[in-house]
Amino acid sequence: MLEVTTDWYLTLSAILFSIGFFGMMIRRNALIMFMCIELMLNAVNLTFISASRHFGQIDGQVAVFFVLVVAAAEVVVGLAIIVSIFRKQSSASVDVLNLSRG
Amino acid sequence: MELLFLLPIFIPLLTALFLFLSKNLFNETVTNFFTLNSALLSFSVSSFVFVMLTLDKFKPVNYSFFQWTTTPDIKISFVLDGLSGIMLLLVTGLSFIIQLFSTSYMEKDEKYINYFIYFNFFVFSMLLLVMSSNFLVMFFGWELVGLSSYLLISFWSTKSAAAKAGNKAFIINRVGDFGFLIGLMIILNTFNTFDFFVVLKDAAQVSENTITLISLFLLLGAFGKSAQFPLFSWLPDAMEGPTPASALIHAATMVTAGVFMLVRISPLLQYSKIVGIVIISFGLITALLAAFSAINQYDIKKVLAYSTISQLGFMFIAIGAGAYVAAIFHLVTHAFFKALLFLGAGAVIHSMHHEQDMRKMGGLKKQMPITASMMGIGTLAISGIPPLAGFWSKDEILASVFANEGIYYIFWVFGLGAAFLTAFYMGRHWILIFGKDNGFDHSHVHEAPKNMTRPLIILGIFSIFIGFVNTPFFHGIEKVLHYSLEGVEVTHLPKGITLVILAILSIGAGFTGLSLAYLIFSFEILKRVKLKKINLDFPINLIKDLSYNILYLNKFGNFVFVSGLKNFSRKVAVIIDGLVIDGSVNFVSTTFGKTSKVASATQTGLVRSYVVYFGLFLLLLIVLFIFTPLVYQ
Repeated sequence: MLEVTTDWYLTLSAILFSIGFFGMMIRRNALIMFMCIELMLNAVNLTFISASRHFGQIDGQVAVFFVLVVAAAEVVVGLAIIVSIFRKQSSASVDVLNLSRG
Repeated sequence: MELLFLLPIFIPLLTALFLFLSKNLFNETVTNFFTLNSALLSFSVSSFVFVMLTLDKFKPVNYSFFQWTTTPDIKISFVLDGLSGIMLLLVTGLSFIIQLFSTSYMEKDEKYINYFIYFNFFVFSMLLLVMSSNFLVMFFGWELVGLSSYLLISFWSTKSAAAKAGNKAFIINRVGDFGFLIGLMIILNTFNTFDFFVVLKDAAQVSENTITLISLFLLLGAFGKSAQFPLFSWLPDAMEGPTPASALIHAATMVTAGVFMLVRISPLLQYSKIVGIVIISFGLITALLAAFSAINQYDIKKVLAYSTISQLGFMFIAIGAGAYVAAIFHLVTHAFFKALLFLGAGAVIHSMHHEQDMRKMGGLKKQMPITASMMGIGTLAISGIPPLAGFWSKDEILASVFANEGIYYIFWVFGLGAAFLTAFYMGRHWILIFGKDNGFDHSHVHEAPKNMTRPLIILGIFSIFIGFVNTPFFHGIEKVLHYSLEGVEVTHLPKGITLVILAILSIGAGFTGLSLAYLIFSFEILKRVKLKKINLDFPINLIKDLSYNILYLNKFGNFVFVSGLKNFSRKVAVIIDGLVIDGSVNFVSTTFGKTSKVASATQTGLVRSYVVYFGLFLLLLIVLFIFTPLVYQ
């Protein structure tokens, strides 16, 4: 009988984080990149919760609430930016936005 | 009383401010009304104050205006004693007389009101200088008279010579002021105060070297302001300004500020052995050099300028010989007869329609009898002919030098030589303008207007009689300066027959000079008498050439200080500035530019590449985290 231990959760969150990170690196669409960020945030959340459960302490879960709130706010601002960019150049590709090139 | 003696200082300032603010409203008549009345008021108050001071036996009155800091003790304070009282009376009196003259001389000038603004501002600055009871306020006045002198020299600023002369005066004075400033710093460092009376009282406890150092630096300031060798060359150029301004500033008052200052610090000077010798040597060099240079000048004002330098040299000689009373006495008499001569020259220039070359004058005594006779009085006074003013003061100086004995006998001989030269060039001056007729048509020339001749007559009367205030029989000035020179060793005149012989010799020098001038320039003895064997042309031309070019000192100074410095700084500009400073700055900036170009290649502007950097560094952190052993403390 396989027992689901904390290691499994941590592994899952590592996989999720890596997917998110690679997604950030290879995708150009701003919306997809946004989703990848969300994925990474939630991977971290998962880590927090598993650790919190493993050590029997509430701190990790508190941190998760903070992350959720910040993520929600970030989505609001981020989506608004993406929409306004899309309106301006009718494309959501981030490669066009290279204004800060040195 | 305390406030009353400040009134003459601030009336000119208020007048200047008032005229400045209402500049465009007034025509010449209204300006005259304000400026003349304020000058007269200022003079009346000064006279009243001086009478009060006389009744009080010349006891100094102090008035402190404002305490700036307590340690060191710096305040804005003024003093009325015999010395500043004399200067107060002199400055306000001459200011009134000369302003009266100016109303006529400056008539219909475009900058008429400006002239009186500057003039009143000068009077304020000069009074600030003489009434101050500490070095700092004196320095304020010292700088302000420099400024107003600059403004008046380059008054006709569209003329390039005038603008240049103003600059020259200002820059050369800067050399002197630099010395003055260093002197002030040493004073503050040594005595912890600027107050004259504290400094002069404490001077006895200070080492002689410090005193010598302070005196020498202050002396440099005096040399600049009073146009002494080697800082004299600005004064002849300063003649580009309006003639009445030259009369007040560059003859009677401002240039005597150096003499005034040295008399003020006379208690300090007596503690140093070297300073006296330095002062008298430079005074003698200046007196002789300037007198020699005056011999062959053709500009009517330049002769007077060199004469002023030479007479200031005499005052320095007096100070060097310890005859402070004689120095102030000569300052006073010189102020009158030199103002008279300058105003006379101004009247001539005015009547000749701004012709200043004496070669084109001659025989003007027919057209301008009053001016000619008043200038004649001035000439006799400066030549030292008794009983006119110049005789008493100059004779007192020479006698005091003689009384010091030893090496001073030699100084006395040179001083007598300078007195002789003075009589000679002043005689020449009068003869060239008024005496010998050169055949020019002067039918259009008329006597100067009344506003010009009246001041001349007033000054003429003073030039005759002012000498009687301090004769060997009545020591007027000595009594006035009694408190100011308290504790100072003053050289006393020789007694009895020696004094008479000295007086006869100095009168002789004056007469010889005047007669020689008459023989050469009026009788033209050099043309009439031909010597058979000896050819005098060469030495005479040599003297003429050297005198005209001031022994080529100006050219030498130009070569060393102007062109030399210019070339040197040009080289410095190329090497130090171009290669070293610019080079290093440029090196830094290009290096930064190149490195940042390399570094900026990493800033692609692509979000994905930043994510990659981020990931790489994250990886690095993780690796470090894993391989760094944990240390518990």
